[in-house]
Amino acid sequence: MEIRYGVISADDHVCEHSEVWTKRLSKQKWGDRVPHVEAQAGGAQIWKIDGKPVSEPDTGFVDTTPAVYNAGERLKAMDKDGIDYSVLYPTISGMSGEWFGRLDDIDFETACVQAYNDWLIEEWAKVSPRFVPQCIVPLWPMDRTVAEIRRAVKTGHKGVIYPASPMELKSVPHINEPDYDPLWSVCQELNVPLCFHSGASPKIQMRPDENFSPATARAFSGIVRSVSSIAVLANFLFSKVLYRFPNLKVVFAESSLGWAAYEMEYADYQSAADGLGQEGYSLKPSELFQRQCYFTCWYDCESLRVRRYVGSGNILWSTNFPLETSTWPETRKHLERALAGMPENERRQIQWENAAKLYSL
Amino acid sequence: MKIKFGLISSDSHGQLGKDAYTARMSAQKWGDRIPHVIEVNEEKFSHPVERWVVNGEIQGGNVCNCPTAMKERGYYPQRWEEVPREVYDPAQRLIALDRDRVDAEVLFPNGPGGTFFYDDPAFELDCVRAYNDAMAEYRRVSDRFIPLAAIPYMSPIETIVAEVERAVKAGHLGINMLADPSVAVKGLKNIGDPFWHQLWSTCQELGVGVHLHASAGLAGKLSLPQWKGYSRRQSHCVSTLRNFCTATQIVPYLVFSGMLEKFPKLNWVFAETGLGWVSSVLEACEHEWEKNRLWTEGIKARPSELFRRQIYVDFWFETVGIEMRDFIGIDRILWESDFPHITSTYPNSWDAVEHSLQGVSPADREKVLFRNAARLYRLDLN
Repeated sequence: MEIRYGVISADDHVCEHSEVWTKRLSKQKWGDRVPHVEAQAGGAQIWKIDGKPVSEPDTGFVDTTPAVYNAGERLKAMDKDGIDYSVLYPTISGMSGEWFGRLDDIDFETACVQAYNDWLIEEWAKVSPRFVPQCIVPLWPMDRTVAEIRRAVKTGHKGVIYPASPMELKSVPHINEPDYDPLWSVCQELNVPLCFHSGASPKIQMRPDENFSPATARAFSGIVRSVSSIAVLANFLFSKVLYRFPNLKVVFAESSLGWAAYEMEYADYQSAADGLGQEGYSLKPSELFQRQCYFTCWYDCESLRVRRYVGSGNILWSTNFPLETSTWPETRKHLERALAGMPENERRQIQWENAAKLYSL
Repeated sequence: MKIKFGLISSDSHGQLGKDAYTARMSAQKWGDRIPHVIEVNEEKFSHPVERWVVNGEIQGGNVCNCPTAMKERGYYPQRWEEVPREVYDPAQRLIALDRDRVDAEVLFPNGPGGTFFYDDPAFELDCVRAYNDAMAEYRRVSDRFIPLAAIPYMSPIETIVAEVERAVKAGHLGINMLADPSVAVKGLKNIGDPFWHQLWSTCQELGVGVHLHASAGLAGKLSLPQWKGYSRRQSHCVSTLRNFCTATQIVPYLVFSGMLEKFPKLNWVFAETGLGWVSSVLEACEHEWEKNRLWTEGIKARPSELFRRQIYVDFWFETVGIEMRDFIGIDRILWESDFPHITSTYPNSWDAVEHSLQGVSPADREKVLFRNAARLYRLDLN
């Protein structure tokens, strides 16, 4: 790997362009169910998946700025912002690929997922090693999930994206059930991190009021999206998945940091008060987290002062390009402000070393 | 009140006696629906146990949530005679306060109290009145108790406001509310709805703060479905730990809905939420406010200014938020003991205080330990 700027962004988004699926899925076989862009009366364009409009916030891009959907243009945008490598999450498919997880027809789901994964390799990873592709996967059953992970990793994917609350997408077991062990197991075996991106579960975020202005609503949604991982983490720390798979690595993407430092201290305190040492938890929650988990941050500044609660080895920087909340094109300025006064070795860890190690770059 | 120890708990739980409701509500009108304690048989126990019952519904698990007041710490009493008087008798409770070297405490409910949602506004109103009257007794016994009023959510706003005015006159120094009533009961208005404006302006005029306690009834909705495979203790730990997710979403809501600007002297108090999350929420609010130029969209003041003007947050065990006290605002931080709940610092609250406040200046210590609370509740310390 080559580091020129000294920054890896561990959470960016590609925006799927209008031909990602139409070029790869058989029109004859799937007809209008294939994800595609449709012009509305009045000229607006919307995405349709399985014949239904995609209406989640922040997925309104339809081939707008080339840097959001074109790898060559993206590289220029990264150079402008001083970013060496970019870890990629989807947009139209859902922050965690959750749109396809909702589909009843698992053959169609698998076809959509594979098209995204192939596109990311063909049009991004092959253009430059500076892109770190992560696959999305069929939600269920697990043999399909695992098969796609094996296939995708073989083609070059370096991380696995999975929705944190699959049971809210369709009728599948709770994420804590051992039924998911094949998922944790294959990620551990292939040494690829499993990534929960915030926002995959809109139910756990407060909605902006109808009378919020569009800009205020976007701002509000951006904030509640990142803190919505509080509940995801609280569950995951006590689910014992990390005990069963001690080499599994888990990323809580677009989490931000300050609440996480508090949740670490609180988890240690509360689990001791509740006497959980007697129930098979041999590590403090914070120790367990530091052994296996990562948070990503982008605007955080004050919160970095309490980074030791999270561990400097467990923090990944990101720019969140091209979401509304992104620091692009002023990431250098943000980093200067945020990491001022930090010892050089920790700075390096947070800016790129942790990510380079995690993704085996 | 005189400050003797230099410590006020801004979040404790006041238990009512087992006759609190039956003595105050009409038996003729409500009969067995009145909250009271009955004997029941439960599979888990070889002997009959006692439980609160409200409107015929048994409140499960124990007869009183006071595991840190018990001789065997962590034990939840199953029969009323096991409950220490220090938990429900105000005069006796002063002894517990002295033992813990705490001057005063803010009283949140300790079941049943707070909400009475049984599809009957008239029943709710009478329960709330009984609760508020009974809790006001605490303050008649000693001004070291700071009770918070419950509100009759299902009543018309005029009735709600009248009950708050009545309760404040009787000695209550704040109101305790759900973060989003519309989540609790279909048909109730969400917290941003103009329906509540009259309540906010009344509280503002009376100088009493709106208190949201821990999940404030919303964290369950903002969380993944709870896993059935958890033991009781695991489940308690997970759901308690995530409770502060309510505050992390409601604070941005108060900021971006314009409510803080509309009622600029109304205080919002977040109890049992800790402090450490404030930095990320405020940084996020400021980041978005700047990026989206929200001052052009009606959010004129900086989010951190609004926070430091109108919001208070409680802590009890932590150090992380104390390290960020300057960013949070030293005047916005309150200490709490959470007596007599499972994570309470009682009876060694000062050990917890010293653990949290290492390196904090004497003046700042006094602020977070009692002066901020004295200002918020307008206590006369002389």
